Amino acid sequence: MTQSVWIHYSRPRPHWYLLGDKEKQALADAWQAVRDGAKAAGAEFHGRFHIRGQHDFQEVEIWKFAGTTEAFNHWQALCAARYNEFHAFSNNVGLETGT
Amino acid sequence: MTSLTGDTDVFSSAPPSGTTPKASVMFVATRQDELPGVYGAAHHRAILAVLDELAAEGWTLSLRRVFDPAAPNTPRALDTGFTHMHDIAGVFEAPDLESALAGTIRLEKAGWARAFRTEWLMGVKEFAPVMGKGALTDHGWSFLALWEWNDQWCEATPEERTEYDFECDIAFKGDLALGVNIAGRHRMDWSHSWHHLGAWEIDGPDTADAAIRGHERVADFKFTTSRHIVGRLAPLADLIAPRYA
Repeated sequence: MTQSVWIHYSRPRPHWYLLGDKEKQALADAWQAVRDGAKAAGAEFHGRFHIRGQHDFQEVEIWKFAGTTEAFNHWQALCAARYNEFHAFSNNVGLETGT
Repeated sequence: MTSLTGDTDVFSSAPPSGTTPKASVMFVATRQDELPGVYGAAHHRAILAVLDELAAEGWTLSLRRVFDPAAPNTPRALDTGFTHMHDIAGVFEAPDLESALAGTIRLEKAGWARAFRTEWLMGVKEFAPVMGKGALTDHGWSFLALWEWNDQWCEATPEERTEYDFECDIAFKGDLALGVNIAGRHRMDWSHSWHHLGAWEIDGPDTADAAIRGHERVADFKFTTSRHIVGRLAPLADLIAPRYA
């Protein structure tokens, strides 16, 4: 039973665009491995959506985790893989209301 | 290990285990009970009852108690209306993230949502509290600093960031010399756009101004965007008293 929604807004930071393709791909692979690990551990990924047309951020991801601690751990794993260094972000967490 | 940066002269990692609360809850709230009937004495009592429950569940509801475990756990918060758009602000400590989020919802449902529109922030404690000089002087005020690292910090090398941390340490030592008590550092980035919260006990707004001038001198703000809140500490029960009986 998933209980926590985790909403992640992001856009690349300027220096992301200065990286070479190989370095970009290596980082993107590492971040995808974190996402795959979260899904394998039971998290539900509800998609990544492009929102730049109406928002300061470029994309939003919507996840459901078993609890808030799992959401925190997912974000921490992304930070350990330097995701936050290359993306500006804003995150939200919420509990299902059941209605 | 959940800290985003390493220890410095001033800051050391918070204890990893034990009975000390590990999570933090911050709120910034604006009154919205302009009309009679929106928020009354029964709601006020219900909120205070939830706060009693939270205290019994291991929450720390007074900043003073972060520094002195023998201090009363009577909820206290910052009266901020004199200089901010919001009316009150505050910081609690909760046993863990699960109870932190659930606690905010319990308060909202008890009647808080009727009285205030509120920005809640939740995080984990990264660094342990640090006592300033003259800890027994009047600490009737509090200063809260939210900040995020900017693109320039993110582009900097690990060595440049460590050098920056130790430059900021000069300013933090200046804060301690001003009698500031620093309640560690709280990591909020997982559920908010602000990355960190620093909560201080101070003796008045002038101390906050003097301290921030010290941070400006060491170029603290070259790598951060921050939001600062100052307020006089008061019993939360008084701050949330209904306007209409």
